Formats: sequence, structure tokens, C-alpha cells
Amino acid sequence: MSAGVLLVLALTWPVAGLLAMLVAARHAERIALASIAAGCLVAAATLASVAGEGRALDYVVGGWLPPLGLALRADGLAAMLLAMSAAILGLVALSARSAFAVTDDPAQARAPFAFWALLLGLACALNLVFLGQDLFSLFVGLELLTFSAVPLVCLDGKRETLAAALRYLLFALVGSAFYLLGTALLYGAYGTLDLASLRLVVRDDASTALAVALMIVGLMAKTAVFPLHLWLPPAHAGAPAAASAVLSALVVKAPFVLILRLWFEVLPGAGAFAGELLAACGAASVIVCSVVALRQQRLKLMIAYSTVAQIGYLFLIFPLSPGPDPFGSLGLNGGVLQLLSHGFAKAAMFVAAGVLAEAAGHDRIADLAGAGRAAPLSVAAFGLAALSLVGLPPSGGFNAKVMLLSAAVALDQWWIALTILAGGLIAAGYAFRVLERAMAPAPEGCSFGEVTLRRQSAALALAFVALALGFVPLQPIGLLSIGQGVSP
Amino acid sequence: MTAAGLLLFATLGLPLGMAAAAISPALRPRLLAALPLAPLPGLLAALIAPAGLQVIAPGPLRMVLALDTPGALLLGSAAMLWSLAGLYAANYMRQDRRAPRFAVWWLLTMTGSLGLFIVADLASFYLVFALASLSAYGLVSHEATPRARRAAAVYMALAILGEAFLLLGFVMLATDWAAGNPLIVDAVARLPDSPRAGVIVLLLILGFGLKMGLAPLHVWMPLAHPVAPMPASAALSGIIVKAGVVGLIRFLPLEPGLPGWGIALMTLGLGTAFYGVAVGITQQHPKTVLAYSTVSQMGFLAAVLGAGLEAGGGATAVLAAFYAVHHLLVKGALFLGVGVVAATGRRHLPWLLAVSAVLALSLAGLPFTSGALAKYAVKPLFGDGFTGAFASLAGAGSALLMLHFLRRLATAAHKDPATSVPLGLLLPWAVVALAAFIVPWALFSAVSGDPLAAPMGLAALWASVWPILIGAVLALVLAAYARVVPAIPEGDVIVLVERAAPLGKRLGDAAERLDGGIRQWGVAVAVLAALVLTLAGALAFAG
Repeated sequence: MSAGVLLVLALTWPVAGLLAMLVAARHAERIALASIAAGCLVAAATLASVAGEGRALDYVVGGWLPPLGLALRADGLAAMLLAMSAAILGLVALSARSAFAVTDDPAQARAPFAFWALLLGLACALNLVFLGQDLFSLFVGLELLTFSAVPLVCLDGKRETLAAALRYLLFALVGSAFYLLGTALLYGAYGTLDLASLRLVVRDDASTALAVALMIVGLMAKTAVFPLHLWLPPAHAGAPAAASAVLSALVVKAPFVLILRLWFEVLPGAGAFAGELLAACGAASVIVCSVVALRQQRLKLMIAYSTVAQIGYLFLIFPLSPGPDPFGSLGLNGGVLQLLSHGFAKAAMFVAAGVLAEAAGHDRIADLAGAGRAAPLSVAAFGLAALSLVGLPPSGGFNAKVMLLSAAVALDQWWIALTILAGGLIAAGYAFRVLERAMAPAPEGCSFGEVTLRRQSAALALAFVALALGFVPLQPIGLLSIGQGVSP
Repeated sequence: MTAAGLLLFATLGLPLGMAAAAISPALRPRLLAALPLAPLPGLLAALIAPAGLQVIAPGPLRMVLALDTPGALLLGSAAMLWSLAGLYAANYMRQDRRAPRFAVWWLLTMTGSLGLFIVADLASFYLVFALASLSAYGLVSHEATPRARRAAAVYMALAILGEAFLLLGFVMLATDWAAGNPLIVDAVARLPDSPRAGVIVLLLILGFGLKMGLAPLHVWMPLAHPVAPMPASAALSGIIVKAGVVGLIRFLPLEPGLPGWGIALMTLGLGTAFYGVAVGITQQHPKTVLAYSTVSQMGFLAAVLGAGLEAGGGATAVLAAFYAVHHLLVKGALFLGVGVVAATGRRHLPWLLAVSAVLALSLAGLPFTSGALAKYAVKPLFGDGFTGAFASLAGAGSALLMLHFLRRLATAAHKDPATSVPLGLLLPWAVVALAAFIVPWALFSAVSGDPLAAPMGLAALWASVWPILIGAVLALVLAAYARVVPAIPEGDVIVLVERAAPLGKRLGDAAERLDGGIRQWGVAVAVLAALVLTLAGALAFAG
């Protein structure tokens, strides 16, 4: 029981931070950093407990058992995601200190305060999505996530970022509506929203199929997989670098985790054709958006398209994780590793791109020559992150790709194997374009602003984590199976 | 862990650590001068470590290092060339403002290339292969001229393509293994019985053949090798191409053999051997001629491996490695020699040209040189029949190409006739040239099992002389008809591929149009609805 309190703490630390911020707005930055540090401790303790004990943590809020009460649960997957989001939030927050330093000037004070407050809102929403066990609290988590994420896009208040944010908001709402409709259908049919209870009673009928399809497609819209990615490139490219980092690394992953839970926990043994359909969307994402990323002139737009492409890999796992124990399969493990390493690598890339854009005064890829001399650590971080996105060793992205490829080969899913390889080739192309320019000697008369090494170090740290994930074994890890197949 | 085991780790650790030291602004400028030291643990390991040594790295590194005879041969000679070329570079690059950057890429490439000869597990092999391939980009692109940019971009594109071939091949090789990362020998032992053996061998030949420059995947080599700074050209053409050789040695089931695939590889190799000569004689720049010679020589080496794969047997790996050692040292010396000649006036030229001539003709199998020994050692693999004769004819091609090279080299001397080459360039070159003669002699008996007198018998001498005579006659013909020889651009068929660029642009345009269309609100909402219905149908249909 005592360890279960950790789950409540995971939800309360951001709220406590937000409340403290309202009281002492001038210390918003310090409060946010302190709360996030506390969150890192909570996440680490949760992960240690789950991995050490070998079983999931459960907590029933107020002692009311489901289906009446609210249950929180950290299985292996949730514990890993908690740790990932805490680490990424922490490092990105460190990188954002100078860009969002709190000032006394009231005209300038709004954006920093909003940034730090929204960051804590995101943290709370993410943790709720990772830990929630019933479809309604998950819905609440998703909404909180959207409403924290959208304002981050338009912090600078410019016309085009406002338009991007509005686009994001509208499409996310459409996704929410679909999700809610599906939830209502399920509630009508089964009278419960609790995931574990649903799993026991769920039937194979048309209304369930429609409900699940509505929910999954709604979540896909929020994940921004091709062909539902219309909102992502302008939103992620327009946001401030630190915001883009958390949006791309974390926010789009949360709805995907819900798809995972619906697919593998509520509906084990869903149809093979449906799985191939999701994988086809993923494959289209990988190929089309990688090619489009290759052709971008702006660094941040390129990275944003790369996000859509990299999310595509996640959807390849549905046909690659068959059998009674999907959480022990190579495909699902590879997918989760891809999720983690893309999180760190993409956060590193956006933060590094922010530094480069600031040093150069623009983010045109063609004019980056000389950046390597002005901001060497940022270019190094970009390069290491690219290693993971392309899938070259040593990196988490490489291990993920090897595991997905192995699963595809073992299951004779050749089109998936070829998609993975082709995606890596095109990713190498778009990463190379940037690095080739950034490492070229500066042309005459080109001036870059100096960037202190300290400001560049957060991106490098993020990239190193993506690199370190390359040292996990090339086989399913036991951690993911913790808490699976046992009803609480 | 034994001292020898530590040496194996230091083989990778020292150059990697030195590259990491570049972060320190104090050490950065001194890196260039320290380059000759970096490969010394590797050299020492090759000399003193017992054969059959195997060490396992602790912790999450999951790296197994091992030293066998082919590995030790290649490790020792490569480390020697890395060290001497490093000494050469320390003088050659002294005035270069971007020398520290060059040194970092040099060290990283070295780490990868030496690692290839000693890693024993699948995942680590891929890691060091990628490290060597990708870091060499920094060497190719160093000059930062438009020519270097193009060469480096082509190099990178093909290197990444090769990585993809190998990744799929390795994954298919390892699918049956629960452990995920088997030792290479264990995985290869099961290869002939695998239901996917054909595809795997094809992918391996594509991936490693690309690195060796087997036609038509050689296109990057005549672009990339000449454009790098001189010592880097020597390392690329002497050492880095051996990444493909050691790959084939390690991953082809040479001992049990794989009939059919052996013939295919041999045909590809011999074809490349002649193709490299045919295009090489149309080239004007001595470094480009040498690059085509590497294409041709690696083709011959692939043919050696193909012949061995066809017949099966335990000797192929060591013999191929021996041939590779010969080529490694000779080609290294020749590239360094181009730089020495370029820094020498006409007055001091003759004896430099004489040494270069012996080195160059060694590639054609000139008697008493390492080439004669190497060709003698691998000859039994081809047999006495048609293929044996064909393989000897490749020597005639090499002689022709090398005589062409010497003519081009003679024109590349320094404009001031009195200039003499600095000792810092001359000395490393002279030592490599000397090693190219001595090292193969020292190894010959142990490797081939024949007495040293064997390649000096009359029959053997004649067998190595007649291809050179044919080559000399052809060279005279070439010189007489030099005007009608067509000018083929460097990289030959790459020019045709580059003409297909508009097609690539059209595909890119199509992807952008598709993306733009789908990101319209109306389209997106329609797609959303269609997706719900299809998915619902798919889910219901399954039940």
C-alpha cells in the first residue's frame, strides 16, 4: 500500500507546483524546476519499485473500488513512461531557463509564467494518461493534455502560430469527440469504463468494433499519424524550441499509449486485418513524411515532419506482436523502445535546433554553414540524435529498429521490413542535409552569435540518453511484461 | 583479464579516447601530432597476442573481441599503415587550420577500422562497421571544395545504402537466435542450413561488395578516394576497403563452401577486376588511376574469396587475408608516394619513380615482390583451368593500369625542379614501402605452408612474368593511341545515375502534393470518417 502512494504523488506534484506558482508568480521558474525535480524522484522511485518487486503498483483513490472509484496503476510500461517523461521534462526545462527567465517587466512576464505553468499542466496530464485505469479519467487526462499543449504553440502570440494552435485545437477536439463517442458506446454496452473489467466482459460484436474504431481513430488524430497529421507540422515548427521538444517527444506519445492499451489489453487478439490497416498508416507516415522532411527548407519544419515519420514506426508493431503474450514479443518491445528513444532524440534535436536558430538568427538549412564552429555541442547533439532517428548504432533507435526488423523477418512481413529500411535511408538523407551544412566552414562575412557551453549541454544530455538506450539488450525485456495478464 | 586482452581493448580504447580528448581546448591542437601513437596497441596486439584469444567486455557493452589468424594479419598491417600515415599526416596537414577536425575523424575512422578485425559478435561488428564508414565521411569531405562535397555526398549515400543491406542481412542471420546477438562464427555456421541462405548471402555480398567497390557499386570510390587529403586517401584505399574484405571473410561460409554462390562472387570479382582496368586507363589524375586500381584489385580479391567459397576449405580465409595485407601496404605506399612526388622537383625524381614503379608493378605480381608472393599463394584456389588463366590475365590488366599510373605520376612532380621533399613526408613513405616488401616475405611460409623458395622456381617466375609482358605491350599500344581513348568522368556510371535526378525530384514533388492534399481540412475529415468505418469493418469482420 505504501508504495502505491507514489502514484498519487505523481499526480499531485504538478498540481502542488501550479498552486504554488499562483501564489508566488515571480518564482514560477524556480517552483517549476523544483516540482519537476520532485517528479523525477517520484518517477524513479516508481520505476525502482515496479522493477524491483516485479509487479505492478496499484492504488485505489479513496478506497472506492472500480467500477465506482478511481484506480491508478503503474505496470512496467507505465513506470517506464513516467520515468521517460520526468527525465525529458527535466532536461528540457533546464534548457529553457534563459529563454523563459522570469522578468519584472509586466509586458514580458506573461510568456515565461505561462510556459512554466503549462509545463506542469502537461506533466500532470501525461502522468494521468499513463496511470489512469478507466476510460473516463483517461479522457480527462487527454483533454488536460490538449489544453496544456495548445497554448504552448502560440506563446509568442504571432499570427501564424495562433493559426497553427487553432488548427491543432480543432483537430484535437475532433479526436476527443470521436474518443468520447466510442467511450459512450462502450459504457452503453457494458456499463463499465474500467479497463480491467472491460477486458473480462468485452464481446466480439459490431457495436464494440465501432466503439473501438472510433476511439482508436480519435487517438490517431491526436497522435498525428499519416493521414491525420495536418495539424502537427505548423504547430510543432512554430512553437518555441523547448515547447516543440516536449510536444514532439511526449505529447503525441500519450494518445498512442492509449491505443496500445486498448489494442493489447482490452482487445487481445484483435483482427489481423485491422492491425495491418494501422501498420499501413504507419508505413505511409514513415515514407511520405520522411520524403517531405527531406525537402523542407526550414530546420524546425524538417524536424516536425520527421516526428510524423518516426511516429509511423510505432504503428508498425500491431501486426508484429501476435500471440497470447504481446508484451513479451519482439515487435512490441521494439516499438516501446522506439517510443522512448525517439522521445529523447527528438527532444535533443528540437532543443539543439533552437540553439542553432538563435545563434544564426534564422533556421534556414541552406545557410547553416559555420554553425558547427559557433555551437559545436549543439551540432554534436543534433548529430547524435540523428544517429538514433536514422537507426545507426549505438543508439536506442538502432536497437528499436533491429527488434522491429527481426520481428518483421520472423513473421515474414516483408513489406514492413522494407518500410523500416527505406525509412532509415530517407532519414539519413534529411539528417545528413543539416549536418553537412552545419559542419561546413563558414563563408566569408558570416557571423554567428556565441552560445555558452552550459546552454548547449541540455540537448547533449538528452542525446546521450538516446545513445545510452542503445545498450539495452536486443531482446524483449522483462520490465514490459510486469503487470500484464493479471487482473488487479 | 590478461595483458593481451587489455591490449585488444586498448586497440579500440586509445584512438576513441584520443578522439574524445578533442573536447579539451588544450589537447585539441596537439591531436594531430599524436596520431602515429593511436594504433600502437593494435600493432602490439597483432604481434604478441596468442591466436584464439577471446575476451568479453563487461557490462552493457555486450562486445566480444577475438583474434584469429586472418584478423591478426589484417590488424597488424592496418595498424602499421595507420601509424605511418598518421606520421605523414602530422606533417602534411601541419598548415591546415582545420587539422584538429581532421584528426578527430581520422581517429574515429581508425577505431572502427581496427575494430572490424577483432570484434567477434554480430552487433559489435555492425557498430564498428558503421563507425568506420560514417567517420570516413569527415576525411572525404575535408577539403570542402565543390568536388569534395559531391564526392562526400555520393560516398555517404552509398555507405548508408550498404548499411541497410547489411542490417537486413544480419537480422536475417540472427533471427533464429534467442540471444539476439550471437557470435559471428556461430551464426555463420548455421547459415548454409537456413531456409533464407540465398537472400542472406546476396545481402552480404551487396553490403560488403559496396565497401570493396565491386562494380557497379564501386562508383563512390573513384570520387571519394582521390579527393581526400593524401594520407587519408592512403588510409581509405589501403585500409578502409578491407572492411568489405574482412566482412566477406567473416560472414561467408568459406569452410563448408556454398557452391553456386562461389561462382557468382568469382564472376562478379573478375568482372570488376577488368572493369576497373578498362576505366582506369582513361583517367588522367594519378590518384584517380590508383582508385580504379583499388576497384580492380578488390575485384580480384573477391574472385579469390568466390573461388574459395565454391570449393570450400579452411585455407581461403588466411590466404585472402594475406593478399589483402599485400594490397594494403602497397596501395598505402603508392598513395603516400603521390604526395611525395608532388612535393619533389624533377631533379630528385628518378629514384622516387623507380621505387614507385616496383611498388606499382608489385600489384601486377612482379617477381620477388609481395605481389608475386600473394598471387602465388592464392593461385591454387583458382585451379589450373580456365578460371586460373583468367585470374592470371587480371595480372596483365594490373600491369597495364600501373604503367599508365606511372606515366601520369611522372607528370605530377613539383614545378620547381630543385625542390626536395620534407623528411616528415619522405620517411613514413619509405618505411611503408619497405614494409610492403618485407612483411609479406616474413609471413609467406607461415601463411601458405610453402617454402620461401617455392615462388622463385622457374615455372613460378614465368607465371608471374608473362602477364606483365602482356601488360607492357598493351601499355605501349595505349600510349600510341592515347588520343583516341575516350575521356570517362570519375565515377563512370554514377553520371548516368545522376541524370535520373529529375525523376527523384518528381517523386518528391508527388509526396509533397500528397501531403498538401491530405492536410486540407475537408480531406482530413473525410479521411477520418473513412478510417473509422474501415477499421470498424476490419475489427467486426475478424470476429
